[in-house]
Amino acid sequence: MSGRFADQLITVLPRLRRFARGLSGSVTDADDLVQAACERALARQHQFQEGTRFDSWMFRIVQTIWIDQIRSRDVRKEDGDIAQDRLGSDEPVRRVEASLALDEVRRALDCLPPDQRTALLLVTVEGLSYKEAAETVQVPVGTIMSRLARARIALQVHLEAGRGRRRSNNDAAAQ
Amino acid sequence: MQQRSDDRLVAYLDGELEAAQQSEVEAWLDADPAARQRMAALAESARLLRLALDEAIHEPVPDRLIAAARGETVAPQAGAEIVPFHQRLGAQILGPRRRWIGLPVAASLFGILVGGGVGYFGVGKLALDGVAGKRAALEATAANNLWLDNAAGYFKLVVNAGDNPPVDIPATGDPREALQKISQNLPQKIQLPKLEPWGLSFRGARLVVEEGRPAAALVYTTDKKEIGPLALIIGSTKQSDIPPTFDRRQDVNLLYWRHQGRAYALVGQANIGYLWGIANDVAWQLDAV
Repeated sequence: MSGRFADQLITVLPRLRRFARGLSGSVTDADDLVQAACERALARQHQFQEGTRFDSWMFRIVQTIWIDQIRSRDVRKEDGDIAQDRLGSDEPVRRVEASLALDEVRRALDCLPPDQRTALLLVTVEGLSYKEAAETVQVPVGTIMSRLARARIALQVHLEAGRGRRRSNNDAAAQ
Repeated sequence: MQQRSDDRLVAYLDGELEAAQQSEVEAWLDADPAARQRMAALAESARLLRLALDEAIHEPVPDRLIAAARGETVAPQAGAEIVPFHQRLGAQILGPRRRWIGLPVAASLFGILVGGGVGYFGVGKLALDGVAGKRAALEATAANNLWLDNAAGYFKLVVNAGDNPPVDIPATGDPREALQKISQNLPQKIQLPKLEPWGLSFRGARLVVEEGRPAAALVYTTDKKEIGPLALIIGSTKQSDIPPTFDRRQDVNLLYWRHQGRAYALVGQANIGYLWGIANDVAWQLDAV
């Protein structure tokens, strides 16, 4: 194994963990995903093309493994089903506002269908351009654009719904 | 229609529109308060999303992932060499303890002697406490491989980050504040060794994992290319004391030792001479020898 390859891999680990955490919604699952991605990358390092973005290559590996896992576990749900499950939750809200908002974001992310979630994480969190994100997941740029827009709007709607629920809870508590 | 408008707004926020399209959106935003409000909401949700996932970037990377990235398991590695502080070559030149200016000179001399003679790993052939002591120390060293891998990995993150080393608590203003903050997360308080005479500036502290416990990585940078950035990792340990021992991971040099419940590792790309001199200084300052 080349030292440079391992160095690149170590450098990108924090971002891979963030990306994987966004995809899987779980710290442990995310680290398992990153570990599997490292092992796969090392086994296939000859496939990496010098001069291309290493982080994009790794994101693609993480995303591919994640999709494989979803398929093998057969836990993939339709968009609406997941969203309704989550939005219907009346989990008591007792933590501070800021923390709640972030929890809400994580839940909202978890509700997005995998392709939208991937596009959102690659562009909005990891800062890839539409073109780079399209290359990473191997779809046309227009597809990324539309997945991203749907994801952003869904996220916003979810957050608005969360704020509404919190306001109602606060009002009820005040009465 | 609404969907198409939102697509435009999202692409505008992401800086993905051509100049002409961008102007169109700006004109639309000027004329439509509802569109402005929608755009602000989209921007805010993106900000919250980044914030929600940000913690993953600042947490210590688990040992197993660094090991996986290196394609390594926790198998012991050979190659560690003991470099006792108390039998330093430059003792006659240096005079009393903590002769600040003398230390870099001694370290350079040490590096030249070692480099010109038998190379880095020849250092272990300097005076030792006997073969049995060396063997025992090497066996203890074998158990350290994983955290040394981690230490080297963290250091690579520092090097690759260039002028902005990744630290959890930056040393802005009074460095003691940074130390105080990082100490809150550690089983024991730590002191900050002053390494200015080496041209090293303290840049901040990062919380890492050493021997399965939280530890502090103190990050120093310098303009001196021959020394380069350095990380001093200080943690607690339940293992027995070991003498200063030199090891390396690829192009990263490590000098580590344990003393009275504390584990120390100085990590950098400086040659063993500098590393030894700086570690010696750290050991004296922190009463860690």
